[in-house]
Amino acid sequence: MAEISAPTTVPDTEKEQKPKEKSRPDCGYLVICWNDPVNLMDYVTHVFQAVFSWPKAKAERHMLQVHQSGKSLLVRETFEKAEHYVHQLQGYGLHATMEREE
Amino acid sequence: MKFVPAPNKDAPESVVIFRINAREEALLLAMLRLYPVLENSHHRISQDPKAAASAEQRLLEESMGQQRAAHRRKVDALFQTPQRFFKEVLGERHLVLTGAQLEWLLQVLNDIRVGSWVRLGSPDLEKPASLQLTRAGARSLQAMQICGEFQLALLEAVK
Repeated sequence: MAEISAPTTVPDTEKEQKPKEKSRPDCGYLVICWNDPVNLMDYVTHVFQAVFSWPKAKAERHMLQVHQSGKSLLVRETFEKAEHYVHQLQGYGLHATMEREE
Repeated sequence: MKFVPAPNKDAPESVVIFRINAREEALLLAMLRLYPVLENSHHRISQDPKAAASAEQRLLEESMGQQRAAHRRKVDALFQTPQRFFKEVLGERHLVLTGAQLEWLLQVLNDIRVGSWVRLGSPDLEKPASLQLTRAGARSLQAMQICGEFQLALLEAVK
């Protein structure tokens, strides 16, 4: 991810929550965003906020995970919803894919 | 180009305003003429190589094609009626956008930025010394940088 403007690191104050979807048998698709050196960090944060209606802190945390770890698991969803999110994220130019959960 | 915050913070933010000079306006229009740059086949639904021939992959490419056609129509509308977007206010040139227009402009500029990077061979931008630039490559690099600057200016308004 291109580092034109450095984001503020936000303390991870949100409680870790086990995803509710995990217990749902139909939520077997992972939406993953992969790192690339071209999308701007502020832009990626904005896209996560726009697509998932996430608060800025959560969007930034996932953006930083993409940047530092190479990828971030964004949501675990049904096939249809995962496909919908991938279309939206790719419409914004992000490198996002849906992968079947092993 | 610089975001101009609304004077009254309680006012409904139906439009966002950017101060823009003549050179920046010409640059922005020159960039928009390049759209679209990314190919529909650039998009991948999954990392799994078996998905490349899937119906979902075809659907993604169709969807991206439709979105680009819709964005292209909006870019054309901007060229046909620039006075809807660029206004002279008290001797200053302003770019005036609704929230929806700002969103598509961000997407269009990012398409040009990412597409230009792909045309450059998807280089690691942290090692610019590795770039062997042709004349076309230099144009792509320039487009990438200019679009990035406009994106950052637009993002100031959504912060």
